[in-house]
Amino acid sequence: MAEAEFERRLERLFAEAPELPDAAAFAERIERRLATGWTARRWLIGAAGVAGGVIGASQLIMSNVFQRAEAMGDSARVLKAGFNQVAPRAEWVSGFADGGVVVWVASALAIVAMGFALTRVLEEL
Amino acid sequence: MPGSTKLRFASLHDVELCSHAATGERAAFGELVRRHGSAVRALLRRMGAQSSEADDVAQDAFLTAFERIAEFRGEGTFAGWVKRIAARAYLRRLQREKKLGVFASETIENEATGEATGDADAAIDLDGALKALSAAERLCVSLCFGAGLSHAEAAESLNLPLGTVKSHVKRGLEKLRARLAPGGGVGVEGRRGNG
Repeated sequence: MAEAEFERRLERLFAEAPELPDAAAFAERIERRLATGWTARRWLIGAAGVAGGVIGASQLIMSNVFQRAEAMGDSARVLKAGFNQVAPRAEWVSGFADGGVVVWVASALAIVAMGFALTRVLEEL
Repeated sequence: MPGSTKLRFASLHDVELCSHAATGERAAFGELVRRHGSAVRALLRRMGAQSSEADDVAQDAFLTAFERIAEFRGEGTFAGWVKRIAARAYLRRLQREKKLGVFASETIENEATGEATGDADAAIDLDGALKALSAAERLCVSLCFGAGLSHAEAAESLNLPLGTVKSHVKRGLEKLRARLAPGGGVGVEGRRGNG
């Protein structure tokens, strides 16, 4: 048999490995390990998100956000007065009537969004 | 639902499964493992690993492959790609356990074991024939013909001179040729997939 032919035959023999009896169990073990790794990763991401949220909330509180919101309310009133002078009929600006409300609505939406994200993560787990 | 997903993946080609796996579809990767797991484990056993050791290395190799699946461009076969990952992982393991050094000093001391039996009626398969080779010969032949490494790549992976690897391969091939000669009755079962 020619050398090249024998080498090709050998490559073929190596490629044609018989299927081992526990092939399915082996594949399941790997899928389980992949799933475990993925779960751990999601926990890590979730924990990082919660930690980030806590830090963000504490920073908000520490930076006197409520006083700033009140100041913003005053600014909004000034802004509204300005708008009224330029376009007295612009009704949509009336939404800014109380600037403080805008902040509270935004905060509530952020909390709802965080809650939604947390629920999704928990569902996935 | 998971059953239908498995069925859907079972009909896909390796390259398509790799694309799905690259998007994080673990079931698609599971199908690839089902198709090629035995071949990778068999290669490691042929390289000289014990069954449990081969399974451990193969598992790690598949997990590495999943992590790096985006790097697989489909230029070769998926099976070939994973086999190379597994073979290199096994060599690293041997190196960690200080077992790789023995191949450098291995000579033709166990030549006697490699002699052909001349029993043409005996059904000798590749695994049986490989047992006739010395550990270094088996490792070099498996790396070059099973994992698809070139002599130079095998030499680099084994940290051996190129000439040493070539002579291990040459001697190994001579022994295998004698064992697998026509009439030797090599019987190989199983499916090849597309690897």
